[in-house]
Amino acid sequence: MLRFPRLWAALKFVAPLALLLVLWEVLIRAFGVGSRVFPDVASVARAGLESLQDGSLLSHTGASLGRVAVGTLLAIVISIPLGVAMGVSPAVSSFLTPLFRFFSVLAGIAWIPIATLWFGYGFGAITFVIFNAVFFVVTYNTLLGVASIPLPLRHAAASLGAGKWRMLTEVLLPGALPNIVTGIRTGMGFAWRGLIAAEMIATNVGLGYMLFLARDFYRTEVIVFGMVVIGTLWLLLDRLLLAPLERATIERWGMVRRA
Amino acid sequence: MKPLLKLWSLYARVSARFPAIRSIVPFIPVVVLWAAVAESGMFPRAFFPGPLEVVHSFGTLVYKGILPDYLEDSIVRLAVGTAAGMALGIPLGVLVGLNQRAHALLWPVLLFFQAIGDIAWLPILLIWFGFSLTTMTFVIVYTVLFPVVLNTALGVRSVPLELHRAARSLGASRARTVWEVMLPGALPNIMTGLRNGLGYGWRALIAAEIIVGTSGIGFLMFDARRAGSVVEILLGMIVLGLLWYMVDAWVLAPIERATGQRWGLVTR
Repeated sequence: MLRFPRLWAALKFVAPLALLLVLWEVLIRAFGVGSRVFPDVASVARAGLESLQDGSLLSHTGASLGRVAVGTLLAIVISIPLGVAMGVSPAVSSFLTPLFRFFSVLAGIAWIPIATLWFGYGFGAITFVIFNAVFFVVTYNTLLGVASIPLPLRHAAASLGAGKWRMLTEVLLPGALPNIVTGIRTGMGFAWRGLIAAEMIATNVGLGYMLFLARDFYRTEVIVFGMVVIGTLWLLLDRLLLAPLERATIERWGMVRRA
Repeated sequence: MKPLLKLWSLYARVSARFPAIRSIVPFIPVVVLWAAVAESGMFPRAFFPGPLEVVHSFGTLVYKGILPDYLEDSIVRLAVGTAAGMALGIPLGVLVGLNQRAHALLWPVLLFFQAIGDIAWLPILLIWFGFSLTTMTFVIVYTVLFPVVLNTALGVRSVPLELHRAARSLGASRARTVWEVMLPGALPNIMTGLRNGLGYGWRALIAAEIIVGTSGIGFLMFDARRAGSVVEILLGMIVLGLLWYMVDAWVLAPIERATGQRWGLVTR
């Protein structure tokens, strides 16, 4: 049975969820819960199949993921160089830390009202919300990461003749990488929630909109299906992409102990 | 360059004596820049008001009593939700952390429900409870619960087995080991969980207030958005930021310092 350890681990992970599915069906039948309150498994599956067939699931998911990808990539591309640049000097980084803490607290949902006013309802506002959820958190963490590299290490590299470029690529970036990756993971967590909230408020396509639209018609099966999709997508994103990335960087370059 | 350097050294000296100003002074250039951009007329005034207008609207809203009322609503919701989330989350986390079977059974379920995220629950909650306080409380409790459970479980599992065994072999009962070994050992992690939970709960509250919309800071901002009043939106954002700063500096950081120093098994 241990010939496929990964398969076995996956099975162990899925089994409780399957159990939950059974429990759900049993509870619905036992208490005779109406479909307006909570749907049964079959109708959720049917709703899923329907949305798959008419392509609406694909277009909603595609829109959501597209927004996340654009906003996140844009934010990462800008925030890492900015964070490194600000973190290099201890004086500058200690001066700016409170500022970025303030803005990373606000990051995400709190920007929805003003984003919709500035950019109108639609792609711009939502991408902006995602962008700044990731941007401030990643910048703040990069800043902290670079500032937490022990100065003796930087001095040692400099006195061994490392130029500016090598200092950047071989000391500063690797040293800050664990923090950067943690920042990306946290930021994307905020961004994902921000996305769902923003889509409920400010658009006409996307997973959040799909849920909120279904609410208008009391179609609980569509809502629950949407929730399952949202949960699964985030779980896949987090467990298969972000968490391994974080673990790998911490193992490889981890000067910071895992908390 | 000389006067600038002098100014900087003055700042360094003064801030070394009064650390409090270190978290205030950095905001001065930002506010000045903001005022300058607003004055320059680069953007229409209605879209990009200056700091003075925001201060003025702060005065009006406090005078009318709207801001204090909404603020109180938001804080009470957050506090009640957080307390309930912790009260549920810590015992559940200890259970999941201690019992191998409970861990195998519940861990994937917990991860999945955390992944769904608070806000995705809003539509169905609105069907169940309508646009009410229950909906908002549910969302916050839900949000706070998962980070607390997951981190408590992690914390309990990170307590070295030797400590547990030592306490047992010195004659401590199971309940006593939980109370005197496991919980203190997990405290730093529980604090991390609380911090994450509050961070998420805070955002969930704003989203819930925007969508459910009866009162609160989130509602204030979205109501202002409907009326096209950028001043009040900005005011709401500043109040939110300041409030978190206070919660962080006066509630979370002291507890964290105390638990970290007293029971710090985990290095931050």
